[in-house]
Amino acid sequence: MKMSEKTYHESAIKHITGESVYIDDMPVNDQLLLGKVFFSRYAHAKIKKLNIKKALKVKGVHAILTANDIPGENQMGPIVHDEKCLAEKEVTFIGQAIALIAAENADALIEAEKLITIEYEVLEAVLDIETAIERNDLLAPPRKIERGNPDEALLTSPHVITGELKTGGQEHWYLETQTALAIPGEGKEMMIHASSQNPSETQSIVAEVLGLKNHDVEVEVKRMGGGFGGKETQGNHVAAWAALLANATRRPVKIHLFRDDDQIMTGKRHRYLSKYEIGFNEQGKILAYKVEFNADGGSSTDLSMSILERAMLHADNAYSLPNVQIIGKAWKTNLPSNTAFRGFGGPQGMAVIENAIDKIARFLKKDPAEIRHLNFYDQEPDVFTPYGQRIENNHLFKMYDKLLVSSEYFKRKEEIIIFNKANEFVKRGIALTPVKFGISFTNSFLNQAGALVNIYTDGTVLVNHGGTEMGQGLHTKMLQIASSELGITPDRVKVNATNTSKVPNTSPTAASSGSDINGMAVKNAIDIIKSRLMDVVIPELEKLNNGKTTIKENVVFENNFIYDKENSDNKISFDDIIKFAHFKQVSLSSTGFYRTPDIYFDRQTGQGKPFYYFSYGMSVSEVEIDTLTGQHKLLRTDIIQDVGDSINEGIDRGQIEGGFVQGLGWVTTEELKWDKKGNLLTHSPDTYKIPTVNDIPKIFNVELLKDVPNPGTIRRSKAVGEPPLMLALSVWLAIKDAISAVADHCLEPEFSLPATYELILLSSAKLKEGMKKIACADDLEKA
Amino acid sequence: MKSTLKFVLDFKIIEIDFSKQKELKTTTTVLNYLRSFPHHKGVKEGCAEGDCGACTVVIAEVNDENKLVYKAVDSCLVFLPMIHGKQLITIENLAVIENKQTKLHPVQQAMLETNGSQCGYCTPGIVMSLFGLYKNHNNPSREAVEEALTGNLCRCTGYQPIIEAAQKACIHNGNDHFSERENEVISLLKRINENEETLILKSKKQKYFKPFTLAEALKIREENPEAIIINGSTDIALRQTKKNEILYEIIDLSGIDELKKVSEDDNNYCFGSGLTLEQLRQYSNDKLPALFKILNVFGSLQIRNIATIGGNVGSASPIGDTLPVLFAHNAMIKVMSQLSERTMSIDDFIKGYRQTDIRNNELITGIIVPKNNNSYLIESYKVSKRKHLDISTVIGAFKLHLNNETVSEIVIAYGGMAATTKRAVKTENFLTAKKWSRENVEQAMDILSGEFTPLSDARSEAEFRTAAARNILLKFYLDTVQKS
Repeated sequence: MKMSEKTYHESAIKHITGESVYIDDMPVNDQLLLGKVFFSRYAHAKIKKLNIKKALKVKGVHAILTANDIPGENQMGPIVHDEKCLAEKEVTFIGQAIALIAAENADALIEAEKLITIEYEVLEAVLDIETAIERNDLLAPPRKIERGNPDEALLTSPHVITGELKTGGQEHWYLETQTALAIPGEGKEMMIHASSQNPSETQSIVAEVLGLKNHDVEVEVKRMGGGFGGKETQGNHVAAWAALLANATRRPVKIHLFRDDDQIMTGKRHRYLSKYEIGFNEQGKILAYKVEFNADGGSSTDLSMSILERAMLHADNAYSLPNVQIIGKAWKTNLPSNTAFRGFGGPQGMAVIENAIDKIARFLKKDPAEIRHLNFYDQEPDVFTPYGQRIENNHLFKMYDKLLVSSEYFKRKEEIIIFNKANEFVKRGIALTPVKFGISFTNSFLNQAGALVNIYTDGTVLVNHGGTEMGQGLHTKMLQIASSELGITPDRVKVNATNTSKVPNTSPTAASSGSDINGMAVKNAIDIIKSRLMDVVIPELEKLNNGKTTIKENVVFENNFIYDKENSDNKISFDDIIKFAHFKQVSLSSTGFYRTPDIYFDRQTGQGKPFYYFSYGMSVSEVEIDTLTGQHKLLRTDIIQDVGDSINEGIDRGQIEGGFVQGLGWVTTEELKWDKKGNLLTHSPDTYKIPTVNDIPKIFNVELLKDVPNPGTIRRSKAVGEPPLMLALSVWLAIKDAISAVADHCLEPEFSLPATYELILLSSAKLKEGMKKIACADDLEKA
Repeated sequence: MKSTLKFVLDFKIIEIDFSKQKELKTTTTVLNYLRSFPHHKGVKEGCAEGDCGACTVVIAEVNDENKLVYKAVDSCLVFLPMIHGKQLITIENLAVIENKQTKLHPVQQAMLETNGSQCGYCTPGIVMSLFGLYKNHNNPSREAVEEALTGNLCRCTGYQPIIEAAQKACIHNGNDHFSERENEVISLLKRINENEETLILKSKKQKYFKPFTLAEALKIREENPEAIIINGSTDIALRQTKKNEILYEIIDLSGIDELKKVSEDDNNYCFGSGLTLEQLRQYSNDKLPALFKILNVFGSLQIRNIATIGGNVGSASPIGDTLPVLFAHNAMIKVMSQLSERTMSIDDFIKGYRQTDIRNNELITGIIVPKNNNSYLIESYKVSKRKHLDISTVIGAFKLHLNNETVSEIVIAYGGMAATTKRAVKTENFLTAKKWSRENVEQAMDILSGEFTPLSDARSEAEFRTAAARNILLKFYLDTVQKS
């Protein structure tokens, strides 16, 4: 059956009436205790004495746990076991959990927290990448991807630009802070209501810290109030802590982190320090590119190496690099372990080459969009990425042509030149940037998904799958897929909370893969049930059609009815078939499974086919900056995004606009700052500034690329979660273009990411100084 | 004297007696109060500091014309006694059940149709802000929509569908089930508000006074010199919500109508200290453009709906947004005690970092702003990391009088550059009696740099503060040249 045309988010009505239940809203019995984490105030220190005796005496306090009280293993690292659940003898970042308190009310928690005494011996802390590099504190051996002969090509390139780019971190700022509710069952059983993108991993880690087996722990995720990667591994932490307290008290325990604590304790997008050399010819064609990514991994590994890998696999973005070397290093610092964040290294990887191309254009005095176009991956058959994957179904040229027209790029560029001539202090800038984003987990085994579909005797359907709902509309798409595959109206289908007892051993809902892999698993389960139903359907249809033979290929499930396409007037209702099937002892429930075919990646050689396909997007943004205050306005953004055949346009648009605006925050106002001791200064929305309604483009045109079905995916759709975030690089480079206008585009502005008001003001001021000192032409000679 | 408080919730009068309801404190926030009920958990805590709007509710009160006025507020900053005599409207009140069917409120219906929610956590707050917009605007401009939504952070949608929902829903005749029940609510509220007597509320270690006349307030102030004075409590509440301080004694001035008055004579505007910043913003629109400009980027509508001008002056924060503008206007501050009344210039009133000249038996009662009568140029500039819903990094306000292109008088006042709002006296002196030229202004900028040694902090480095302060003086110059 065709997909229902307009389906709203399956929880939309609950959201807008306030009925949707998040963990902190769940009704729990009067035994409920609240949990709180007592955490380190030093970035690096030995714990000399820890005293909880006084705190334990506070009325209403039921338990205070330290590392010694952990019945299982004291660890919660997702891949590498290098992350303690509770600090033992040493703390390695501010915000690291040392003790856990459970009490009857918030006042008792606060009082107890104040009464815990601790003596530290303060040690030297590493708080930035530069220092970590000096000390050679790597988290893991460096990685490398190489193709062609970059060193030689750099030597023979007519022009070479070298540079360094700093890209900042980013706080997730999910509206719902990290939360978990642990409810002890009989014996050692533990039920966890988690706000986790990875319930199976939450289950394993809870089992590990409690010294239980996975089958003793059940994890359920109804919905998250936003995830964005921040709950891919770090939702596990709060679940493990709540479980420890629930296990110790045998009472339900809920931990809902206070906003500031969440910002202080949890990891963020990795900041990167990247160094590059790029060789090119007179036309601007890139001949060689060498880049080294240095990631601030924080105090433990978490997902840093996978994120670094994705950064490396996106060093090329949309550009053909005949000779290329990509090196990746993740460094250990005394900060919370940095973690997944929408884009997962992709943004950091792309920002470097986008900035390098911008420099090439300024150097050659050409339009940056034209240099980009010149370097796009060709549409010819044998075009390969630095890691050896063939480029297929390349939409870059089509998008470029469309976007130049729809955004009136060149016309506006002319207008901007006139505007900038007429205005001494207010400048405008424009930029076009592409995105090519690889879809699949680069850790190939993760590309698998499971589902469990139950049909009940009243004809209603319950879909379970391994993906989690964090607002992205995954459950809605699964509902649409199930209803169209079964030929029933969407009101008969419900998608259940994600539960490790229903669908086991699942991958995180991450890498934009949720709909692709879970959709296929749901379809697989339904295909199995439908094939079983044939035993009932075919005889019934034949009876109805006076004995005329029905072959299963002709059976149609549509609009709550089933019929033979040869006799479409005679229909049996879906409800009747389900009842008959039940009487005939046909199983109405099935699991489903899917693994993405043909993908592999060899880390040793840096070669393979890590991605099932690429998702493409492109955007043009225009900004206005005030060089006197550093403040900017985003005047207009035009986006074209390739989503294949969209399963749900409303939801896909939401992902595109929302992802773009989140990226907008990353490239402009979202700035993380620490003091010299490693205290996060920007630990609340008072000082950490995500975009408000006023910050989005005043003109915001979003177009889905039409007629580009994606072969081999569910309903020929494409992933959409992460790619749009990187479209915001057009805003970043439009700001740079505006700054550059201060020096009539003759000097290269000092630039990094985010382009805050400070950067805009100070960089513009330096250009003004630079213009005073040297004439434009001279400077270009030297460069 | 009364020891219980009353308000309307779910169209019923709720009475709270702190001596009986031990789980409540006099400073329990409306957010925490609501969330203690199973059927009022739609309201969410996102930050506990009024910076995200997830806790937005709408408060309705009866105005002089016997109509209900609706205001969106951040319930995380509102103590229960502050809603005494008012109607509290929550997300659960918006949809109604008709013939066993849920009938969504127009703002909810629009949010559904535009895909206005994703994760849903900010959504109840956003819907309540839209409801506030719906009750106050018909066919709002994009600007008005943004104003209504500035205080609501959403991390999923990118806001575009929410803007569309606002524009879609707010084309109407203003009617909804609240307007149908308006008279019913007004009569409930009148029942609460007849015979207004000072509320003296006590819980555990706390004492909370809510007087309804200035005379009562001054008497209580005299008797309780240590008590904290609040009105909107948008600043003080953070000491509880963020720092876990116990606020032992509070005098809440939000019930005193005398302090909410605006008067005007030939020479001055006089603003009651209890005037909310939103009321002041609307009033200043065409009268005091420099103040209007600053108030447009002051916090959010939810904050401005309860924060008062008296509070902004009285808290004497070095980054209090209205202060430099009041300096530029040579505003006067009026304070009263039971027996005396004083008026002093704002320069004299602000004494130091969060210190004023107020005595512990006095209250700020009014802010007097001399009329400009077009003889002066007055301008203000706020520089902040994010243009809206942000505290200023540097704020500058300027007053200039020219006599044939020569400066006869200039006031240059900055916030964010020192421990208090501070005038750049040397720079003022340098410019006085000089030609108002770019050359002289650029020289003055160098003097200005020497006058301040600002801090580096989470908002910016000192270098930026100095540069921005210099530059806004230049901006002022450029604007004056452009205007003339």
